Amino acid sequence: MQEAIKRSKADYSEIRIEEKESTRIAYQGKDLENAGTVLDKGGIVRVLVRSKGWGVATFNNLDDLATRVDQAYQCAQVASSPEPIEMAEVEPVEKAITVKMKLDFRNVSLAEKKALAERQNDILRGYSDKIIDTFSLYVDSFSRVTFANSQGTFIEAERPSVALAAVAIARDGDNVQQAHKTDAAPAGFEYVLEKEELAKQAARRAVELLGAKRVMGGQYPVVLDPMLAGVFIHEAFGHLSESDFVYENPKAKEMMVLGRQFGKDILNVYDDGSIEGLRGTTLYDDEGTPGRRNDLIKDGILVGRLHSRETAAKMGERPTGNARAVNYRFAPIVRMTNTAIQNGDSSFADMIRDIELGIYACDAYGGETQLENFSFSSGYAYMIRHGQIAEMVKDVILAGNLFMTLANIDLIGNDFRWISGAGGCGKANQANLPIDCGAPHIRIQNVVIGGES
Amino acid sequence: MDILNQLKTQAEQVEVLRLQNEQTSVKFEANKLKTSTVAETRGTAVRVIRQGKLGFAASSDDTALDKLAANVLESACYGDEVPLRFPGPGPVAPVRIFDRAVADLPISRLVKIGEEILDLILPVEPEARCNISLTRSVQSVRIRNQTGLDISYQRSPFSIGFEIDRIVGDDVLILYNMFGTTVWDDDYLAFARSLVEKLKLARKIVPIKGGNMPVLFSPVGTLALAIPLNEGLNGKNVYKGTSPLIGKLGEKLFDQKIGITDDGTIDGKFASAPCDDEGVPHRHNVLVEDGQLKSFLYDLKTAALFGVETTGNASRGLFNPPEPSPTNFMLQPGETPLKEIIARIDQGILVEDLLGIGQGNVISGAFSNPLSLAFKIERGEIVGRVKDVSIAGNVYELLRNVAAVSQEAQWVYSTFFAPYLLLPEMNVVAKG
Repeated sequence: MQEAIKRSKADYSEIRIEEKESTRIAYQGKDLENAGTVLDKGGIVRVLVRSKGWGVATFNNLDDLATRVDQAYQCAQVASSPEPIEMAEVEPVEKAITVKMKLDFRNVSLAEKKALAERQNDILRGYSDKIIDTFSLYVDSFSRVTFANSQGTFIEAERPSVALAAVAIARDGDNVQQAHKTDAAPAGFEYVLEKEELAKQAARRAVELLGAKRVMGGQYPVVLDPMLAGVFIHEAFGHLSESDFVYENPKAKEMMVLGRQFGKDILNVYDDGSIEGLRGTTLYDDEGTPGRRNDLIKDGILVGRLHSRETAAKMGERPTGNARAVNYRFAPIVRMTNTAIQNGDSSFADMIRDIELGIYACDAYGGETQLENFSFSSGYAYMIRHGQIAEMVKDVILAGNLFMTLANIDLIGNDFRWISGAGGCGKANQANLPIDCGAPHIRIQNVVIGGES
Repeated sequence: MDILNQLKTQAEQVEVLRLQNEQTSVKFEANKLKTSTVAETRGTAVRVIRQGKLGFAASSDDTALDKLAANVLESACYGDEVPLRFPGPGPVAPVRIFDRAVADLPISRLVKIGEEILDLILPVEPEARCNISLTRSVQSVRIRNQTGLDISYQRSPFSIGFEIDRIVGDDVLILYNMFGTTVWDDDYLAFARSLVEKLKLARKIVPIKGGNMPVLFSPVGTLALAIPLNEGLNGKNVYKGTSPLIGKLGEKLFDQKIGITDDGTIDGKFASAPCDDEGVPHRHNVLVEDGQLKSFLYDLKTAALFGVETTGNASRGLFNPPEPSPTNFMLQPGETPLKEIIARIDQGILVEDLLGIGQGNVISGAFSNPLSLAFKIERGEIVGRVKDVSIAGNVYELLRNVAAVSQEAQWVYSTFFAPYLLLPEMNVVAKG
């Protein structure tokens, strides 16, 4: 690798090689859909010609890296950035990161993994005769990523991941409802043992949703559970903190100007890639920058954003360790790691006590954002009536403007937790990047809930 | 030893899929070309049926074929028993999906095309920021199985993906789309021209009051209706029992004007190929005709489970077993000229695009979306853009009564073909 880099004619060159072995077991209904292992091995060369732009070559054949470096160099020649591209300084580092799993899943038999997924599936299926379909998934993967660049950095890192997902689909006549639960961590097989609660919760929720009424559209005070609050802060706010989005966009720059009031002084938001054991954790990102805690909103004020080396140089700020690539088929771009709303001091009871008519929205089912506009589906929800949690409602979709919504957060709970879900984040075709998000319960006033009124 | 021959001695049935792809792409970000990429991928996926049980494995590491063979046999130890038979050799009709003109496009030409698109948009909309990615590929596919079936073909996909935003003061407008083909199309700028027209039309903002009114969906807008149908027509969802269409074959579920087909044999289209990813020839599948449900989409496995013939809709990436999936999915055009449809509307909206299409409980047919681009129609004319508007409903209820379907139709996101579709009445929610 280093040999090939040395011969590069570019201003900056890097090579990343990844070798990954992944086992996946999936049950669909009564059938085992798949139990097997796939091998993925490949590399990427990325070079910068400062006056032109970036050139990238990706490949599975690792035989001739020098030729790949040259291909990438040719690519960089056709780019035409109007101003020279710079990269912020990062201390070169040589490091080998090895991980110790308590129970290494590479030594666990396919039979045992299959039994685990099957047990989850049996719980889902056995819960009620209203459950017409299920999905039970076990996935583990072990990657070895080697990174070298022309500035002397050489990092070898092992990245294990283990994940469970349980989906239950319940049906009553034409009424079909779905619920899912996932759990994942950069850990060994020990992490997925004794997780039967996962399947039970998914099954119970799907059946409960059959009895839920469609929510009436309108404006409500809404309490979000930590799951939905975490996904909300990641999707609606976090992506705006990614500087590749901001630095070329005059409107976004104006929106995301540091020092702007984003919420009440109780609101604190950060991204931290250095916390051990979380799914989004990256001790070094895919440009070799160490992960760290980055405050984004402090006491309601916007104080920071997330960078790659290029965006940091462009905006005259420090690299934050957020240049990440989902695999060797992609160049790194600015991504979140573990993003969270910091713990507050309100109890759940305080939050709902004075709500005459409102909604308690839980779990995220999907969402989309366009700049400051967002639309999110919650997995399930309850009406809040006279300060009490009342009947379950379904199809609760929160839509609105990020800034108005953040400003309307008036209480932050004292029950912070990380989600540790198996899902990942998608951006620019790089889907399913492991991330985590976390939050306590939060309360937001005047949220627009879609639906028929 | 060849992996097919090696595994043939150890399993009753063997299928080997070999994929190779060579791709060049250039990416304009915020009107500037900053990155270009070459990518070469290759890999092998194998399925076996051993003692009646199905196994799957895949690898992108050509130096580890023994491990691949071992993995697929291990997978088959735990596989389910599926009454599945890999297809035998037979005639495969050719489909035009390879064009030297695309395969030989030099990177400099991709750059030039990107610049031509910017030259169309920026003089009209200097505030627009365009992310445009242009990609040409050459894909080689070879599918073999133990029966002697051995199909090889090459495709030359070419695509232009757009994301255009225009931000003026507090007004944000974002448009996405993708143009894709497998043979060279001289009119590759038609797409960009229609985007320019939309941007122009969107300049004037007019107020709107919510309520029940006729709603006209553009070809892009019809995606909100087509995505649930797409899911509902998928044989896998029917098998699972989650499709609301289960048990309704032959029933008239939709308005007479609704017809849906899926066809992977159309020359030059983005999802076209001579056969599906299990080596079954693609064909023209009628799914809904005159509002009547005719067929679902199947691959070998779902077809075997239903005891019917596969429709040739198996689709897979290297690392996943095949699943039923649409190819070129087409909502049939109707009889009425678009102009006439608009002229008929006294007070209504034209839905160009929605935010969050495909989220929520899609399979149930329910949708609820803010409109990212919509126009007000007043006394038969489009009078301006409306903002902060959303619609909600259920596809299976709404499509029972369709007021008109246009003659005009377009390909959107490369693989979906749709006309304009007028629903006589929907609840439109407007803020303020």
